[in-house]
Amino acid sequence: MRAEGVVKRWGPTTALAGVDVEVRHGVTGLLGANGAGKTTLLGLILGLHPPDAGRLEVLGLDPARLGPDVRARVGYSPEHHRLPDDMRAHDLVAHLAEVHGLPRREATGRASDMLWEVGLGEERFRPVGTMSTGQRQRVKLAGALAHDPDLLLLDEPTDGLDPVQRDDMLRLIRRIGSEFGLTVLLSSHLLDEVERICDAVVILGEGRLLTAGTLDELRAGAEGYVVVVEAGAEELARRLVAAGASVEADGQRLEVTPGGDEVADAIRDGVAELGLALLRLQRRRVTLEDVFLAAGTRDDEPTPSPA
Amino acid sequence: MSDARIVDRGYRPYDGPRLGAPGAIRSLVRHTAWRVLGIRRNARTKVLPALSAGIAYVPAVVFVGIAAFIPDDRLRDDVLPSYGEYYGFVTMAIVVFAAFVAPEALCPDRRSGMLGLYLASPLTRDTYLLAKGVAVGGLLALTTLGPPLLLLLANTLQGVGPDDPLDVLTTLARVVAAGFMLAAFFTVLSLVASSLTDRRAVASAGVVLVLLVSAVVANVLVEEMDAPGWVLAFDLFDTPFELAGRIFGERGEVPEVSTAALATSAAVVIGLGSLFVRTRYQRLAVVS
Repeated sequence: MRAEGVVKRWGPTTALAGVDVEVRHGVTGLLGANGAGKTTLLGLILGLHPPDAGRLEVLGLDPARLGPDVRARVGYSPEHHRLPDDMRAHDLVAHLAEVHGLPRREATGRASDMLWEVGLGEERFRPVGTMSTGQRQRVKLAGALAHDPDLLLLDEPTDGLDPVQRDDMLRLIRRIGSEFGLTVLLSSHLLDEVERICDAVVILGEGRLLTAGTLDELRAGAEGYVVVVEAGAEELARRLVAAGASVEADGQRLEVTPGGDEVADAIRDGVAELGLALLRLQRRRVTLEDVFLAAGTRDDEPTPSPA
Repeated sequence: MSDARIVDRGYRPYDGPRLGAPGAIRSLVRHTAWRVLGIRRNARTKVLPALSAGIAYVPAVVFVGIAAFIPDDRLRDDVLPSYGEYYGFVTMAIVVFAAFVAPEALCPDRRSGMLGLYLASPLTRDTYLLAKGVAVGGLLALTTLGPPLLLLLANTLQGVGPDDPLDVLTTLARVVAAGFMLAAFFTVLSLVASSLTDRRAVASAGVVLVLLVSAVVANVLVEEMDAPGWVLAFDLFDTPFELAGRIFGERGEVPEVSTAALATSAAVVIGLGSLFVRTRYQRLAVVS
């Protein structure tokens, strides 16, 4: 999926303001607070509405012109948990495979297979209305997978799940991205679950692309060192800034970015030349939250996952 | 030979044919028809469709039986209804179906989130509505078209219907035209009510209310307030059945209303109703 300068307005509100992004094979997390433009982007990918400006390409097709062709090859699991209560899980998944273009016999067979894959093999003939939220999430996932899509869009797939169910679901999504070989775009506002299973991240904020890249790339940009000295941190900080590093001071504790050997050498030389007592020098552990905050998003949203 | 077996084949890519939007429409038509009829659902959901079918077909079967046992032509013509008059026997079946069964086609999809899932498939809003309309219209046609066709077939075979092949064809064309007109009229009426609410009971009440209120208002205007006779063409309960009778060359209870006024009224309901449902669905938000 590739977006170039994509703009989408809803009346006076600009939901997407010139977003450039590329989603490659693997599991990609789509992060952002409520109103960041995640759902609008999913709608554009599905061809449900055209962009007001810019260019969008999904699986080599323009979804605004060839929506049905794109949707035939995309699986979508929505955020809501509502499903027809009186339908059996197997019938629902088979029907979804059929409306995505599979012949009836194939749809029926794959519905069973997918329900086994998501861990509902024994429950597949139960009415959806008797299932828990976790099981409904799995039914939705099976429905999105049954027609063997090239691209899978998952909107908050762990919403409403308890910690154990959440772990299971995340493991399953990771499997889909690696073992099943599908491209997955996971929309979420929970940073730690994206960090656990995604290869790459796209972060949106107020309709703009804040940052995008693989987790390794993004972490590398935010890596650094924590330096604690007994005294003289102010002078050391001045030297490091002069050497081109970025420093945040908290008493005698300094957070120095970026990482890398040159900065490490500058810290060593500074401490030695100033004759400081070095109490601690360690690599700073970079989380996705650090990346997110560095990307310029407000620090109260999105939220770290509940324990 | 080892008796070991592979119990988990893992995820298998699908390389077979993909049927695209036509396949999606066919699947949705079948699924909707089954759902409306209560197939693969609990027994309670089958009651109203069965009642509707019973009301529609039992008189036809009875009349076929009577025709077989009454040898005298004049007596038979006195006892048996004409094709146009037959709709008087199936009015309730059609109304029960349109009001209480057909809303099952649209309302639950919005309530259960299925609409969003359908629109994330090769279906568009228009093809979704097309599939729903075909499903409901097809089932309604079984009620409006089936019994008169059964009568025509039985009467022809028993030699008590139209004798001349041209007469048979003419009657067949009239049966088909009247049946499709009634099916289209009540399908649109039901879809309009269903498009306004995601609660089936409210949609049912809406259909009944529109039929009753239009009948009462049109009749009060004409009979009590001396409005011109064509106002009765806005009686949505009687208009389609009166028009069905006119297709067979018969004038029913409102002979003062011209056939053109009745046809215009039916065309306006079908045309504007379809446009209304389409516009309503174009504006619905779906990804949530």
